[in-house]
Amino acid sequence: MSQLTHRRLSPHILNRLIDEAPRDTLTLTDDHRRSLTARFRAVASTDHRRLDAWMVERAGQPYDTFRWSPATARRVIGNAALRRSRHDPTLTRFDAVALEVSDQLLRAVAGYSRPGSLASWLAQSSPSVVGLVSAEAANWATQLGEAAQGLEHAWSVAASDAYYDVARARTTLRGRRDLIIPRGLSRVLLRVRAGAPGKSAGPGLRADLTIDALAEPTGLAASRVIGLWPEAGVVLSVDGTMEDLRAGARDLVRTAAAFQRYRLAKAA
Amino acid sequence: MGPAQGQHAQHDSGHDEHSKDGVEHVLTLGPVTGRRQTLLMTSLLNASPVNVMEVLRGERDERPIANTKAASGLRALLEDGIFEQLGPAPRDPPLTIRASSLHASEHTYDLSLTALGQVRGLLVTQALRLLSVRHEMDNAFDEALLAWRADVGSNELTSYVDQLESDEWARLRTDVTAHCVTLKRSLGPLSSRWLPRTSLRAHQRLAGGSVVLRDVIDLMVGTTTSDQASVALLDVTTSPLGEGAERVMRYHALIQTLRSSTVPLRTSMFSTATGELWCSDVDDELLTRAVDDVLGALRAMAAIP
Repeated sequence: MSQLTHRRLSPHILNRLIDEAPRDTLTLTDDHRRSLTARFRAVASTDHRRLDAWMVERAGQPYDTFRWSPATARRVIGNAALRRSRHDPTLTRFDAVALEVSDQLLRAVAGYSRPGSLASWLAQSSPSVVGLVSAEAANWATQLGEAAQGLEHAWSVAASDAYYDVARARTTLRGRRDLIIPRGLSRVLLRVRAGAPGKSAGPGLRADLTIDALAEPTGLAASRVIGLWPEAGVVLSVDGTMEDLRAGARDLVRTAAAFQRYRLAKAA
Repeated sequence: MGPAQGQHAQHDSGHDEHSKDGVEHVLTLGPVTGRRQTLLMTSLLNASPVNVMEVLRGERDERPIANTKAASGLRALLEDGIFEQLGPAPRDPPLTIRASSLHASEHTYDLSLTALGQVRGLLVTQALRLLSVRHEMDNAFDEALLAWRADVGSNELTSYVDQLESDEWARLRTDVTAHCVTLKRSLGPLSSRWLPRTSLRAHQRLAGGSVVLRDVIDLMVGTTTSDQASVALLDVTTSPLGEGAERVMRYHALIQTLRSSTVPLRTSMFSTATGELWCSDVDDELLTRAVDDVLGALRAMAAIP
């Protein structure tokens, strides 16, 4: 049975959730991948679609047009800053944020950024907007850093989100992950979210769990995915059981179908 | 530092201000001058009497052990109080309490709640955020405005600002600049080692979602992972500190405790209108009073049909 654990944020809750993660590891096989691909291909799409946990939580409702803002830039810079300050302990998270922002600006100046990227948006923004981006990123890095600091296990900041391209189904899945905590052969994932968890937060975490397993070349699933909502002081987690992985895959296919319906309705 | 100790130059004598709060600090626009004929005036001090960060950080050696046990008791008090008032039936939509719900008094009229007052407050908050990342502000108004627009995109208030007449625009610019000067002078150096975070949102659902407590803390320094209490909260307001300020300070401390399960070291409020800083150490009594404040506000809201 699929299980969602709900806890209030307290100093040792993350350690407890990591310690209590299931020891058994599960692997998605080629058969699982083929079966999922067939289901996605059954939901025909003329355009390429990108699905993630947020779309699952919104039942396939398409995103508003994306625009860079301090709020959308904070996670990219904040995570990179925390990774940098972990590698160089002499740096405060705040200084690491400043260095990350400088790196982005340098990338734009050197011509290594494509139009529409974070680096080119920052380069076109006024210094005060860049300042606000730094403030947001410092909030994020501090928040994530506080969560990581209390961990009694080794941890690392995820180098990137998990991406899985579903072959011949014009579909890319994106699973968010902020911290990776190795646990035996497997790992526990931690993702930080803004706001408060809604009723569909569980399916969102399951989608991240499934996408992460699909993106792993061996198909090895994380033993647990922990969602942390610092603004609400709430922690949710789902285990890497086959039921949860299946539920996550089912939700993603349903989301693709709902997304297609929205698109067709809009076109009509 | 005692509770709600005023830091204004006029209050150097340091005597207890509790009894005087209601008389001195409340912005009461009575029958003498009509509301429409009265505007909030900004007074600029020649030298700032306080260094906000110095007061907030205090003496490192005197910090108590972090209290991580109080949150569950406070939550239980709130749940019991809400049940007594609202009963078991779920509320849809939920009753939402914000810091502004506690600020208001039926006998006062808060000019900061006007559209212009809100814009001024938002811009000063943006200025605080820029100062927290050591951004050199040459033109506080323009820079805060740019940052605000990048942050929120477009909404009712940005449209309101776009439609301001030139004289109102000039007044807003002057006003925001004056408030930012006071803020900049008073804030003091903000070390990156203090982990400054700005505009931190909090959201607490109680009574099965029938009541939602929302809050935004303008500036927070310190960490919740330390064995000693080190988190200090600062609310920056463009209004003079009134009788509701203490309630708001207590509310911030309560929400931070519920959110993180760690009681903050102190909570404070700084007025950029007067340069006044009120600061309180957070203890059990303060948090219990915050629970009473929330239940009082809820009682008032529930009474409205």
